[in-house]
Amino acid sequence: MTETMTQVTMKIEPERKPSGLARIPRPPRQRREKKKWSVGEIVVMVVLGILVLIVASPVIYALLNSFRSYAEITKDPMGLPTSFAFDNYVALFQQTDFLEAVLNTLIITVGTVVMLIIIVPMAAYGIERVGGRTSRFLYVLFIAGLMIPFQVRMIPLVKGFDDVGLYSTLLSVILVHLGGAASFGILLYCSFIKGIPIEVEEAAHVDGAGRLRTFWLIVFPMLLPVTSAFVIIQALGLWNDFFIPLVFLDSSSAGTINVAINRMVGLLTSQWQLIYTGAILAIIPSVAIFAAFQRYFIKGMSVGAVKG
Amino acid sequence: MSAITEVRVRPRFSRGRLAMLGFVVPALAIYLLMVIVPSLQTVQLSLTDWDGISDDYAYVGIQNYEDIVASGRFWNAVRNTLVLGLGSALIINVISLVVALMLDKLNHAQGFFRTAVYLPALVSAFIMATIWKYLLNFNFGSVNTVLRDMGLPEWARDWLGDSSIVIWVILFITCFTLGGNTTLIYLANLQSVPQELIEAARIDGASGAKVFWNVTWPMIAGAVTVNMTLAMIAGWVIFDQVLVLTSGGPGFVSETMAFFIYKVGFGEYRAGFGSAAAVVLFIVVIVSTVAANAYMRKREIQA
Repeated sequence: MTETMTQVTMKIEPERKPSGLARIPRPPRQRREKKKWSVGEIVVMVVLGILVLIVASPVIYALLNSFRSYAEITKDPMGLPTSFAFDNYVALFQQTDFLEAVLNTLIITVGTVVMLIIIVPMAAYGIERVGGRTSRFLYVLFIAGLMIPFQVRMIPLVKGFDDVGLYSTLLSVILVHLGGAASFGILLYCSFIKGIPIEVEEAAHVDGAGRLRTFWLIVFPMLLPVTSAFVIIQALGLWNDFFIPLVFLDSSSAGTINVAINRMVGLLTSQWQLIYTGAILAIIPSVAIFAAFQRYFIKGMSVGAVKG
Repeated sequence: MSAITEVRVRPRFSRGRLAMLGFVVPALAIYLLMVIVPSLQTVQLSLTDWDGISDDYAYVGIQNYEDIVASGRFWNAVRNTLVLGLGSALIINVISLVVALMLDKLNHAQGFFRTAVYLPALVSAFIMATIWKYLLNFNFGSVNTVLRDMGLPEWARDWLGDSSIVIWVILFITCFTLGGNTTLIYLANLQSVPQELIEAARIDGASGAKVFWNVTWPMIAGAVTVNMTLAMIAGWVIFDQVLVLTSGGPGFVSETMAFFIYKVGFGEYRAGFGSAAAVVLFIVVIVSTVAANAYMRKREIQA
């Protein structure tokens, strides 16, 4: 049914890009009628609330202590802040290279995501449409990467980047991330592209559009639901990553946020308040990304999961 | 090649086949250079005595593998990886499934609670471990402070320096992350279970627990497979928590395989030896993933 719907939308309004959004194969969810509140439901809510508080408690603790001084923290570890001045936040940027670390993290995250969006959907489309055994072989080759942990390829990569003079550059981190994320991207996009009728592309082709034009103008907009899920999952993962920048960025670079915080843990042994502040600053963008794209994110997860 | 004969079957797209392959080339080139080639080089390096810095090295055959098998430190790392990988996979899956079942029961504000449950999962393993490192500090950490204030000073201990408990402390902290996606996948699958099945079972007089084990559980078997596999793959490479919390210490007590490879390869200038450990890690990941999948898929069919 979704396939015929696609054709119809494409024929009637081929230029309306967001039409792709309406076609997300939703999990069949039971529409609930208005139901009354029950005691059980309240209990469940309270339990869930307590659980969330427990899991979030370290973060809440760090947030509160980012407004306290080191003397206050060590004198009374469980005390509450007396004022909400942003002294620690200012100090963090003044005393350390934190700003540079934030910029590095931003460049790595945005750079990798943009590159992924350019190469992965195209590759998945190529794999699906090339057909035959070539298709199968390429797919398996990419999927095999899911089972290759970063540690397995880490040592030769450091050597290789060192040989070509790219060690400790942001480019090296981006390239390593690209290789690691390609497998998951191919898995995600291929399963979605299978559901796109080939007739649409052929029609565009008959109309004289080249392969690249057909892909970017016709196919890519239809992939929007997967793309949004892929971008959010990757952006969060890249922002939160620690191991890859730790290995590929030495002290000549300010590192990423996480690497910078890790160095501070070693250097600023009597400045816990700055560590807490850095931790909070590292979390804020992830929460912002999630809050902004939540809808697509949960949909994307559900699509992948039900298909999986 | 035989692939070419396939083209004849679909003449309409045969002209574009080369173009389609061209679409794959950029991603394929990066993937080969960043994943496949270095992985093969690791196998090559694992047969050498390379120190990680010098220009040349000698082939030593399977010497590194023999050293690994004989190394108590490596087996300890394997044991820790199993405890952390399997332990966190099981705990996270059980908690996530229970939370998903609770979310599924909600008739009001489900979206709000779904978001609330997911929010803590946005915090990276690194940040969570860093905060815990300070919470568990012996002198000024909150955990020991609270225990002393509650009149239980004998319970206060050096959580990360006590070799008999350190791995369990790391397991506990590991479970604070990774749970969000697992919960979402379970929830999506629970919501795709046809309500009619559950109602039919209810009418037949089945209790809540019976409905779960006989109707819901078989229906979400696929999600269990996916989630356990994902959690295990994540578990085999646990690194951030170990580096942040203990650096593998005290001594080598809390090293995991991922940490072992990092430490040996970069910290101890034994890149050849570290490469051999990486190959072993790769084999463990492949074997456990394939075996776990085969076992769970079989269970799915029976159910």
